[in-house]
Amino acid sequence: MPPAPAAAAPAATVIAVEDIGLTFPSKSGEATVALFDVSCRFAPGKVTAIIGPSGCGKSTLLQIVRGFLTPTRGKLRFVRLGAEDTAGAPPHMATVWQAFNLFPWRTIIDNVAFGLEVAGVAKAERLARAKKALAAVDLSGFEQKYPRQLSGGMRQRVGIARALVMEPEVLLLDEPFGALDAQTRLVLQEQLATLVETSGTTAILVTHSIEEAILLADTILVMTARPGRIAAEIVNDLPHPRSMATTHDPGFSVLFDRIYGLLRQEVIRAMATEGGDA
Amino acid sequence: MSSNGPMATPATAPAEADPPGLLQRLGEPRALSWIAVVVVIVAWELAVIVLQLNPIYLPRPSRIVVALYEMFRTGGLTTDLVATLIRIFGGFFIALFFGVALGVWMATSVRVKAIADNFIAALYPLPKVTLIPLLIIWLGTGGPFMLTISMLGAFFPIVINTVLGISQCDQGLVLAARDLGASRRQIIRMVLLPSAIPSIFAGIRLGLGVSIILVVAAEMVVGKVGLGARLYLAGQVLETEQVFAVLIVLATLGIVVTKIQDAIDVRLGHWRVN
Ligand SMILES: Nc1ncnc2c1ncn2[C@@H]1O[C@H](COP(=O)(O)OP(=O)(O)OP(=O)(O)O)[C@@H](O)[C@H]1O
Ligand SMILES: [Mg+2]
Repeated sequence: MPPAPAAAAPAATVIAVEDIGLTFPSKSGEATVALFDVSCRFAPGKVTAIIGPSGCGKSTLLQIVRGFLTPTRGKLRFVRLGAEDTAGAPPHMATVWQAFNLFPWRTIIDNVAFGLEVAGVAKAERLARAKKALAAVDLSGFEQKYPRQLSGGMRQRVGIARALVMEPEVLLLDEPFGALDAQTRLVLQEQLATLVETSGTTAILVTHSIEEAILLADTILVMTARPGRIAAEIVNDLPHPRSMATTHDPGFSVLFDRIYGLLRQEVIRAMATEGGDA
Repeated sequence: MSSNGPMATPATAPAEADPPGLLQRLGEPRALSWIAVVVVIVAWELAVIVLQLNPIYLPRPSRIVVALYEMFRTGGLTTDLVATLIRIFGGFFIALFFGVALGVWMATSVRVKAIADNFIAALYPLPKVTLIPLLIIWLGTGGPFMLTISMLGAFFPIVINTVLGISQCDQGLVLAARDLGASRRQIIRMVLLPSAIPSIFAGIRLGLGVSIILVVAAEMVVGKVGLGARLYLAGQVLETEQVFAVLIVLATLGIVVTKIQDAIDVRLGHWRVN
């Protein structure tokens, strides 16, 4: 476990997942054990990546952290760091979705301002803040367009702006670039790395891309095939700021090979079980 | 607008780019649709004259127009039209309000849906004209009866389409709204309803059509004023010109309602197109 940063803000909260299990009941066949005995901690101000084979329960874990799913076993705790660690309230979170999930009938600026609108922020203020958030993801000038008029990469930048405008303490990213082409993905990964580094928020990033995990995360959790457990927790101390140049760092290949070695077995195992299920 | 393909001539012959000829313009779909109407009316007029048909069976279009004008000027047709419109739209708006409300409630609560399901399954396919005798026994033949019959026509299509539209809402959008802090009510108002609007609108189209049919039918049976009553009375005394005149008013009403719906559809759905 990496030590908490010495200069952590007083309100810093660790998200502690303790022996969590989740089983989806099913009416027809047997129940799906999505997660089994998962324990991990998400440190404040750090980016943690979760990587694992398809169907291993990554999204499920994220939904548990968000509070949208209740684990069938184990506990989710929020620990306030201080002189003495105390139980804290859940930190403020916002999610970026693989499917973007923009409201198609709202203009781009009204999409970004949605969270502020439901929170009762006055119109002038929320539009000003949404405009700033859009500028931060290089989308100035697209305020009055509709999601359908934007490319996939632009839509996900709107998704990121919509989450960041809420100034969340924890940013949850569920395969944010999974639906994008490889080039767009590279550019957005770099941009996200910068945004997260400068804002200093805690982030949890679910991804299928080893490069993405190494580029963005401080800690990388590798999960096993279903039922998902944590196979390894890998600390990534490649220097910041990271960019595509980081992929030429010798440390990058070492990390890559290690993660790939772990994942390879699990992906093969996942494929075998999928075949057995069918 | 036209599907004639590119009209522009090559850049080498700019002088030839004169406006399309009259014949070409008449061939455009928009023009054609009106020309067809004119041709039919003229043929009708001529046929009646040439074949010397009895106007009790088929009056000349020109006579019908005169009759229509006279009915508006001195015959009180405006009163009938207004009465019919109030009945149709009064009942329709009541149905719209309660239909959408019940639809939202059913779509967001399995219990409410369970309670309402069988009643709706029984009443929706029932031809509503069959309820006219019962409603007359209960409500008489006045305003409350007319509003109820109109309301019944529009209510079920609106409820069913609201439920359908809301249950087809992308769950990802609901999760995103929840994630951004929206309450249950805010999710209904800001996510479920807007995403169900195309479907609700389909229900409105169906429902308003049924309301119009029912009100006119009810007026024909029991009305003293209203377009249906006027139509029935004119038929009784073999005033065929007046029968046609009322039919023209009803047809025009149908066109106007359809066009207004199209216009609202375009406005509400502007995010769907470019
Ligand atoms: N609501 C649900 N009901 C039943 N089973 C579910 C439900 N949600 C997920 N599952 C199952 O739980 C397992 C884990 O799902 P989850 O979506 O968390 O996987 P994932 O790791 O995010 O996969 P992917 O990489 O494909 O997104 C899968 O086998 C999935 O089929
Ligand atoms: Mg997933």
